[in-house]
Amino acid sequence: MATRILVVDDEPRFIRLVEANLVTQGYEVTKADNGQKAVDLIVSDRPDLVLLDVMMPVLDGFEALKRIRAFSTVPIIMLTAKGEEIHRVRGLELGADDYIVKPFSANELLARVNAVIRRAEFSKPQPEQSVFQHGNLQIDLARAKVEVDGEPVLLSSTEYRLLLQFARQMGEVLTAEELLTGVWGPEYREDKEILWVCISRLRQKLESDPKEPEHILTRPGRGYMMPSLEK
Amino acid sequence: MPQRSITGSLRPQELEAIYAISKVVAEPISTESALVEIIKLARPVFIFDNVALYVLNKQSEELEPAFARAIGRGRSSAADLAWGEAAANQAFTSGRNYIREAEISPYTDRLDQRFYLGLPMIVGGETLGALVFIRFGGPTYTEDQINLAEFIATHVSQLLAHQALVDRVANLEAERRLTKMQDDFIAAISHELNTPLGFIKGYTTTLLREDTEWDEQTRRDFLNIIDDETDRLSELIESLLDSSRLQSGSMRMNFETLPVAEVAETLLERVRTRYENMDIRAKTELTDVKVSVDKQRLAQVLDNLISNAAKYAPRSPVFVGFYASQQKFIIAVRDKGPGIPEEYLEQIFNRFYRVPQRSAGVRGSGLGLFICDQIIKAHQGKIVAESTLGEGATFQITLPVITEQQAASNGGT
Repeated sequence: MATRILVVDDEPRFIRLVEANLVTQGYEVTKADNGQKAVDLIVSDRPDLVLLDVMMPVLDGFEALKRIRAFSTVPIIMLTAKGEEIHRVRGLELGADDYIVKPFSANELLARVNAVIRRAEFSKPQPEQSVFQHGNLQIDLARAKVEVDGEPVLLSSTEYRLLLQFARQMGEVLTAEELLTGVWGPEYREDKEILWVCISRLRQKLESDPKEPEHILTRPGRGYMMPSLEK
Repeated sequence: MPQRSITGSLRPQELEAIYAISKVVAEPISTESALVEIIKLARPVFIFDNVALYVLNKQSEELEPAFARAIGRGRSSAADLAWGEAAANQAFTSGRNYIREAEISPYTDRLDQRFYLGLPMIVGGETLGALVFIRFGGPTYTEDQINLAEFIATHVSQLLAHQALVDRVANLEAERRLTKMQDDFIAAISHELNTPLGFIKGYTTTLLREDTEWDEQTRRDFLNIIDDETDRLSELIESLLDSSRLQSGSMRMNFETLPVAEVAETLLERVRTRYENMDIRAKTELTDVKVSVDKQRLAQVLDNLISNAAKYAPRSPVFVGFYASQQKFIIAVRDKGPGIPEEYLEQIFNRFYRVPQRSAGVRGSGLGLFICDQIIKAHQGKIVAESTLGEGATFQITLPVITEQQAASNGGT
């Protein structure tokens, strides 16, 4: 089945632009012209990726993002206008997987979409039947589910993938560049901001005290690591 | 200096006055009227003829008189010269009370025997100015009286400090509002400019993709969009320039005195050619009066109103009416669209304002009606909007006509 992408924007011309490009890559496109419709479509259609514009009537992109994140981990790319840095960070903090700054080129759009799709594929349930345990944190690799103290935690696909990266290399210090390349893709190598926001969100969700983390530690000047627990 | 309780040495009458004074300070109306009130309250318990308040001007770093009253014997021209500026400066620079008393002599005029008491006004370590009391011909200031005067000075200081704080808050608030307006303005402009730019960039790079061949029809469609968005971008820049020229008053207007019939005819013809696919219904009821107009600018206003009707009331006929009496010339544009909620009618002429719900999905800069309003104001006229929800909206322009006298004084042009 083709990968389905929901494009949410109030400008028909914009939707046409994005659709024309996505279709050439074999993606199937569904459309919504406001945030409310987007939320409804995610419930009924379960798209594989959502491109969500920030500036929209009825329900703006951030509000829609908040509502979507309350029930879904679908990968989301926010479309923000240039010069609105605050929007970028806000989107990431609310759980967006990536952002594209308008105006953008067709190639940039496709590169970002492909990268996020690739990440999402990766974080889908793996056939390996195993459970990873780190203190009170448990990752069910078969079902791609995370629990802390037995309570399920909802992670976005990017957050999940970042967590797996740490788990796979437990005990090793990973540099920002390595994490960005491994989780987001080589084109994100310099995008430290996106990593900081994502780590901070992971800590909020996983750590009993995000200021005194036990699962993801900062090694100042070097990077981050998940410490080995057996000594 | 020995610490003494001020209130301990006061008589009931003085205590009452001081209590009343502190109440005045606590509920300040304006500094001036509070001072008048304080002096009125102090006077029965503390004898003086003149009182003057000097406040530091922070720019010039000099004391400036802020308030002065002649109360007792001093209400004469000679007394007007005695306002204790030197005493104020002494008290201000030293930060201490300053007393200078004249020698009593039967040979000199009482008004020349001046007893000065200067008190520095200090709040939170900062000296704000000085308060000076003047007695003509004595008596000497006793310790108790100085005590009382100090108390009054403290309260006046507090009053000034309070006023300074209020002024500062008001200044900061005004500054903050200005900054916010500028920020909003910049955010609105960049968003408006970015939208067409985003399409131009997006569609151009789509056509330039090396891995894809677009069919002829799609190619043409995309190029048309790029062309259209380029026009939009330049219109937007033109509107921005217009709006800033109009705001700063540097827009050049070419006024001509023309018969209203000619104005109506020119405008209508232009509208008909420009919107040939629209159902435009015209009505004219004219007299032979003349108006002074910039034809280009007036046409721009009408254009804007009709294109708004096309955008917000699609499929509705547009009624354009020209009416003239001996006093005024009216142009009305009416549509039968969804209308504008009453609470927004005033604001729609503000720069960058767009009616929230009505604007959904309709592109616009929020500049059009602002420009219309400014152009009509430059014609000494006014533009208003009326609307009944569900029945449509009417924009009415009223322009003054040229009277016989004005026409004559303009050489009859």
